[in-house]
Amino acid sequence: MNTPLSLLYLLIFPGGLFLIAMGLVYEWADRKLVAQFQNRIGPRWFQPLADVIKLLAKEEIIPAGVSSGLFTALPIVAVAAALTAALNVPMFGLRPAYSFSGDLIVAMYLLSLMTLCTGLAGANTNDRFSLIGATRTLTQLFSYEAPFMLALLGPAIMAGSWNISEINAYAESHLWMVVTQPIGALVAIIGLMGKLELPPFDAPEAETEIVSGALTEYSGRGLALFHIGKDIELVIGLTMVSAFYFGGLSNPIYFIVKTVVLLLITAGLQSLFARLRIDQTVGMWWRLGALLALLQLLVLIVFKGFGL
Amino acid sequence: MEAQTTTGKFVVPIGPQHPALKEPGHFEFTVDGEIVTGASVRLGFVHRGIEKGAEARNWVQNMYMVERVCGICSHVHATAYALGVEQLAGVTAPPRAQAIRELVAELERVHSHMLWLGVAAHEGGFDTLFMYSWRDRETVMDLLEAICGNRVHYSVNLLGGVKYDIDDKLADQLRKGVDFLEGRCEHYMKVVTTDETFVGRTKNVGKMSKEEAYELGSVGPTARASGVDRDIRIDAPYVSYEQFPVKLITDDAGDLQARFVVRIKELYESFRLIREILDHMPEGELTVKVPRRIPAGEAISRVEAPRGELLYFLKSNGTDIPDRVKIRTPSLCNWSSVVNYAVGHKLADMPMLLAGIDPCFSCNDRSVTIHRGGNVQNDWSWEQLRQYGIAYYR
Repeated sequence: MNTPLSLLYLLIFPGGLFLIAMGLVYEWADRKLVAQFQNRIGPRWFQPLADVIKLLAKEEIIPAGVSSGLFTALPIVAVAAALTAALNVPMFGLRPAYSFSGDLIVAMYLLSLMTLCTGLAGANTNDRFSLIGATRTLTQLFSYEAPFMLALLGPAIMAGSWNISEINAYAESHLWMVVTQPIGALVAIIGLMGKLELPPFDAPEAETEIVSGALTEYSGRGLALFHIGKDIELVIGLTMVSAFYFGGLSNPIYFIVKTVVLLLITAGLQSLFARLRIDQTVGMWWRLGALLALLQLLVLIVFKGFGL
Repeated sequence: MEAQTTTGKFVVPIGPQHPALKEPGHFEFTVDGEIVTGASVRLGFVHRGIEKGAEARNWVQNMYMVERVCGICSHVHATAYALGVEQLAGVTAPPRAQAIRELVAELERVHSHMLWLGVAAHEGGFDTLFMYSWRDRETVMDLLEAICGNRVHYSVNLLGGVKYDIDDKLADQLRKGVDFLEGRCEHYMKVVTTDETFVGRTKNVGKMSKEEAYELGSVGPTARASGVDRDIRIDAPYVSYEQFPVKLITDDAGDLQARFVVRIKELYESFRLIREILDHMPEGELTVKVPRRIPAGEAISRVEAPRGELLYFLKSNGTDIPDRVKIRTPSLCNWSSVVNYAVGHKLADMPMLLAGIDPCFSCNDRSVTIHRGGNVQNDWSWEQLRQYGIAYYR
């Protein structure tokens, strides 16, 4: 790749500006849908953008007793990780900007880095709510991460590749994997919600208990960056799950339709349940989620092994 | 903010300013990981001096004052006060006025319980139930507005009667609204008893046995959810509860879920009562004359507020200004039960447990000074009080 093109990929499309805009639009769609399900009006279309601009314009307060270097660096690392992960997925239904064999694993880890940064950010500050929030964030990371990974492993095994674009191409040319692997699809969707800390898995930032969890002490730019990072993660997560389980993303129209339908499903699930306690979340994932994902994997291996 | 206290325990403060609290109160939970090992409560952030203020106004003006003790159960406060004053003056309000008082009290209970249902669901992170129950609560707010023109402070009561009458058109509107609400409440009953995640958060959480409820002096739906058969509407009927009796609702489970179930069943009972009152409304006058100067004496009046027993003690010295108005609100009786059963639960359960007693902070804040021997100075000047206040909140 030549340098100007790489810069374009990184800064404008599909990374950088485009992805941030996309993330804000999807955040709005998510909030609007949940609001409609709850019989509220919901925010106007530019509300997430307005929130980010307002936060960026505000003073960033670094509380006493924190390592200020870490405090400033963590949100930047989180956004950078999310943006980097986006380069490997078929964003907007187009070919991934940068693709190599094994990029599925890299993308997964880059997405986890975001959660890890949130946890570290909470543990770095001296606030009680942040500390409890950080503990819960990391506990939740350990609970959904394995089942979610196993769920994304299913399509990878079927395609016989660790490359996201190859799996995407396989998914396009075959029957939708949500039909052939329904358990894996379910675990992947719910795992995505756990990853994004959406209700009912929002114990790490349960406002009625611990204010806003790990990010309680964040304000201004840091908070805005974490919000942007989370929005980007939402887009990447939706892209990956719909590329793997919902018949691949070969063009922009498919991309929009499939991710929005997936968002509709997650928004519905968000408004259906009461918040799970952190012990309930962990219990559910390890007792149910992990077992189901393993079962799915077993079926696949047997299926593959006998060459049916 | 220090993460560790001097005792080496990890204390999570909730309040006085916290998203879980709609009014200021301060709770300190000592936690070990997620498990709460100790709980304490400190009140008094919204003390308004209403009892003292009542001693500077006449009997009629105080009607206005006591209605503002609580923004949710304003009508029961006015009813309790009016009943006490009528008792002192030796008059009884006409039957129609009594029936209208009961009608509005039950509508208020509907509004209060639905508000609570939403708040409690929100504390548990179930915002959809919160939004739905508050949307439906608008119906009963509209009905109350149709009766008296106000959504919150109904001002239905007068000393010796009520201000507003119910005509046939209004009665039809009330029946229609109640039918709609009954359908919705059946749905909510289904949600709180069958929804998997919701039951997971409420069943066997915050259990309180019947004996404990007695010992801790719980009142209202909190006590009834533990199987205590205590309801002033039945034990000592006031207004027209003798003519239109209410059925006692109790539940033996004593957990958070039972508190939901008891309150929703009370809503059914309220709907039934409202219909019965509308069908058999006694005819007659709305008011009787009450003298401006109330004869000297003391009176106690008890009513069942949505949160439990509400007690008024009134003392008259024969003038048009009361000598003493003592108000004991139900929330004050229930705090000890929360602090008691909070221990051993998870931190995540605390907001729901706090909300479980339907707390009302501003109405239970009192100013109390304890003198431990020494030279007791009983009269404080304004300047001394001011200095004391500044030092106290420093």
